[in-house]
Amino acid sequence: MKLTYTLKTALSSLKAHKMRCFLTILGIVIGVLSIILVMSIGQSAKELILNQIEGIGAKTIAVEPGREPKGPSDFLEMFSDSLKEKDIALLKNPNNVRGLAEIAPVVYQSVVVSYQSETKRASIIGSSALMAKILDIYPETGDFFTEEEIRQDAAVVLLGYEIKQELFGPSDAIGEQVKIKNKTFRVIGIFPKKGMISMFDVDNLVLVPYTTAQKYILGINYFNEFILEAETESIVPTTVKDIETTLRESHNISDLEKDDFHITTQADAIERANTITSILTALLTSVAAISLLVGGIGIMNIMLVSVLERTREVGLRKALGATDNNILSQFLLESIILTGLGGTIGIILGIFFAFIASLILKTIVPLGWIFTISFKAIFLGLFVSAFVGVVFGLYPAKKASQKSPTEALRYE
Amino acid sequence: MPLIEVKNLKKTYFSDNMETPVLKGISLGIEKGEFVAIMGPSGSGKSTLLHMLGFLDEFTSGVYNFEDKPAKSYSKNEVAKIRNEKMGFIFQAFNLLPKSSVLDNVKLPLFYSKTKEKDWDKLALSSIDRVGLSHRVNYEANQLSGGEKQRVAIARALVNNPDVIFADEPTGNLDTKSGGQIMEILESINKQGKTIILITHETYTAQYAQRIIHLKDGVIESDEQVKERKTSNKDGFIK
Repeated sequence: MKLTYTLKTALSSLKAHKMRCFLTILGIVIGVLSIILVMSIGQSAKELILNQIEGIGAKTIAVEPGREPKGPSDFLEMFSDSLKEKDIALLKNPNNVRGLAEIAPVVYQSVVVSYQSETKRASIIGSSALMAKILDIYPETGDFFTEEEIRQDAAVVLLGYEIKQELFGPSDAIGEQVKIKNKTFRVIGIFPKKGMISMFDVDNLVLVPYTTAQKYILGINYFNEFILEAETESIVPTTVKDIETTLRESHNISDLEKDDFHITTQADAIERANTITSILTALLTSVAAISLLVGGIGIMNIMLVSVLERTREVGLRKALGATDNNILSQFLLESIILTGLGGTIGIILGIFFAFIASLILKTIVPLGWIFTISFKAIFLGLFVSAFVGVVFGLYPAKKASQKSPTEALRYE
Repeated sequence: MPLIEVKNLKKTYFSDNMETPVLKGISLGIEKGEFVAIMGPSGSGKSTLLHMLGFLDEFTSGVYNFEDKPAKSYSKNEVAKIRNEKMGFIFQAFNLLPKSSVLDNVKLPLFYSKTKEKDWDKLALSSIDRVGLSHRVNYEANQLSGGEKQRVAIARALVNNPDVIFADEPTGNLDTKSGGQIMEILESINKQGKTIILITHETYTAQYAQRIIHLKDGVIESDEQVKERKTSNKDGFIK
């Protein structure tokens, strides 16, 4: 039997039940659409996160208190007060840590900043000039605080663009006084509008010397993080090792399992982000795959009905010389056409909705969301839909092919 | 050597622990070119016998030789090939594809044959011409009258130039005029050398055959040559 004829027969049979075909392939369309959409958004999210991490710079090393969280209970460790002032001096010593260019201790909290009757909640970061260098932000007007001001716990503050706008409007803010936790701070600099950089919302940032933040705002004598910069990218592993040794000595740690700090490099962060986004994408894709499975069952259901309805036709074809394989391939082809069609429509709609989603996400996430289409997803969508067609079409097709001609011709 | 030879052929249907014997030991031979009518009341087993002879169903026991070869020795694909190339079927209910054109319906057996695709239309049109339906080639089957439908079914049965035509009550659903036309066509096909096995319960239709086999309760009651074979008049029906 000729393939063109089988194809023609399958198409004309499907054409005879347009509405039924449409409803049948809807399940496949939704399944493939979901896979494309989820994988595309997952891919975009991954690229966005990786871009953000890469923005930190390959030479950057972060030291955080508490051991690396390996389970939910370890998260409390992150609030440990293990990173102290004395550690900075030890880490700065080139005899202890090789290849270290700079170190910025960091403290942070969410605070309310007020100017006259205006108030605004903001993220306050207490750090040094290195923080600005790492984030690549420099005051548009005014200046950064000096090392001297850090030493003197000077009550000076730099404001992000949005905070400045909300508190001062278009008026000049340099030299004005704002209040944070009842302490008066002099505005010495305003950052330009920058959006998100390395997961920091720079426009909503209040930057003060870390000494000032510790003393007047947080009332603590430890740090939430050390951000360090190595001299070169290649020396990072050596520097990390030296930091570990120095901090263990400083904190009297002999058991490696009992570290009260953990170190993250850009490579670690990329790997971690990759893992997390991949797991999330896989999880969401499996949810989408379930809808494809349901769609497949729908195909099987309709094909079974179709086989039943066309029992006499099967009998007739067999009486006229069709072999079991002829009948099997006819019905199988019908279900593959259905799923293939559903898959193709699903891919087109999936790309369309992924594009729409990227437009929406661009307005919601101020991070520079990029529209990406995963070719893996397109291939997967096509492959899975054809596979569903074969798997779920096989049983009804087999059932049709095994009918005895007499029994089929007698069917009412 | 008979074209068809059966010895002690039996068919029993089994359902829900119930055995229903339909054919209880049929023995007969049909020569190439014969026109045989099988008659009998409802439930006598005539259609079942036709299905066995046409390889549409399997018999329970006995021997069936087609072209001197035991039916049981044919594989499933060989049986399909025999049905396609050597047999043609005409059913009481026509069994056409209602949404397909007359041409497509007649072409149907060709799709399962070795005939080259470029010859399909030519063969189908010639077959349609033989039954006088050239003016209805592009009509959908469901747009035709009963008589026309049966003529399409005959054209379909002839398209692969088979050796034997099995006709299961071909005039059963037709008025007498249309029935006459169908019988006239079958008569002419037989004259061209085709073997015809006709199932009917109408005596006047059976009179077209050379030989009438009467079945009753699954056994042959009589098997006689027709002494005075009827022929069609010029109006297209038997006197």
